[in-house]
Amino acid sequence: MADPLNAQTPHTSLSSEPEETGKPVEAGPSEEPSTGSAAEVAEDAGDVEAVEGLRRPEAAMVEDTAPDTSGLADIAVASFGEPAEAILGTDDRVQITNTSAYPWRVHASLLITAADGSSWIGTGWFIGPHTLATAGHCVYIKNSGVPGRDGWVRSIRVMPGRNGSTLPYGSVTTSTFRTVTGWANNGDQNYDYGAIILPTNLGNTTGWFGIGVFSDSQLNGSTVNISGYPGDKPAGTQWYHSNRVTAVNALKVFYTVDTMGGQSGSAVYRIENGNRYGVAVHAYGGSTANSGTRINQQVYDNLVRWKA
Amino acid sequence: MSQVINGRVRDADGRPVAEARAGYLSGPVPLPDIAALTDADGTFVLAAPVPGGYEIICSLPDGTNASQAVDVRPGEDATVTFALGS
Repeated sequence: MADPLNAQTPHTSLSSEPEETGKPVEAGPSEEPSTGSAAEVAEDAGDVEAVEGLRRPEAAMVEDTAPDTSGLADIAVASFGEPAEAILGTDDRVQITNTSAYPWRVHASLLITAADGSSWIGTGWFIGPHTLATAGHCVYIKNSGVPGRDGWVRSIRVMPGRNGSTLPYGSVTTSTFRTVTGWANNGDQNYDYGAIILPTNLGNTTGWFGIGVFSDSQLNGSTVNISGYPGDKPAGTQWYHSNRVTAVNALKVFYTVDTMGGQSGSAVYRIENGNRYGVAVHAYGGSTANSGTRINQQVYDNLVRWKA
Repeated sequence: MSQVINGRVRDADGRPVAEARAGYLSGPVPLPDIAALTDADGTFVLAAPVPGGYEIICSLPDGTNASQAVDVRPGEDATVTFALGS
């Protein structure tokens, strides 16, 4: 149902439950991360994660970056004239094996059961003790072309830090979700974000990422990181890559980080002084850049309310 | 209503393969980075929001994968069939 606190915009919050217990938000520039109560925390490495075998963005830029990407956002968002290809150039993703450590345990493998009983995989990331951010299309299916499939998904099994068949923090299944009218009513890619609400506070153990509203100048050309659970690798394994933001607009962030189906909903995050802040929610593959829903002020406000 | 891509996954003996993962490798427009799991009949259905050329990737649980190109025509559903595994 629509939330009257944020009515009449594409960011109007929707809940999979009849009533939403939203609270007014005092928005700030950022929400801080937590490493959680579990023991192992991976070492910091500047603006990228310390992962063996990772190609630095500077190296990847040599072959991946076009000289002028200024028109990219409009092409991808407005015209849909851009073909999709989620691996950009060579596939530079690196497998994460110590998934029980922070920050990897913040990421959760999602097993999604849609309204018609079909099964899907995606990724979510903790933003608070009982809330994971994800793509809108992971919690609310739109324009599937299949009768009975569209709408709120039936359930999602959340598996933080999954590594193949190993579930270091177990799993939690929930049917409580959030998204916004811009996605649920209109299927607009610019508003493709949502949240998964857990019945437990598992995030207190795994920790979570902060979120922040960053300016165009802060994001353009900056290094962003994505880790998630792609469908083209051994089942349930987590893969990470880092590269540059190539373009932004008010609603989207475009980047040359390699992704694949199953990574929808992953955090697009930056590292500042060892702290990790989500700047977008990964959602789409494109030909010259992949893209996510930008955490602008409206998205930020909803995420803060959804994690309350 | 948009078109769909109907997929079937079979093993070397022609038996349906359940819980294979299928998603978009490329397509004519930006596409959601989600992947379908095949059902007990080894089938999946992916949306094709616009006509054009798509490439679908399908993976077994061990990561063995293959891709196939499929052309989706306006108003017509398309079909891809994968033979994967032993």
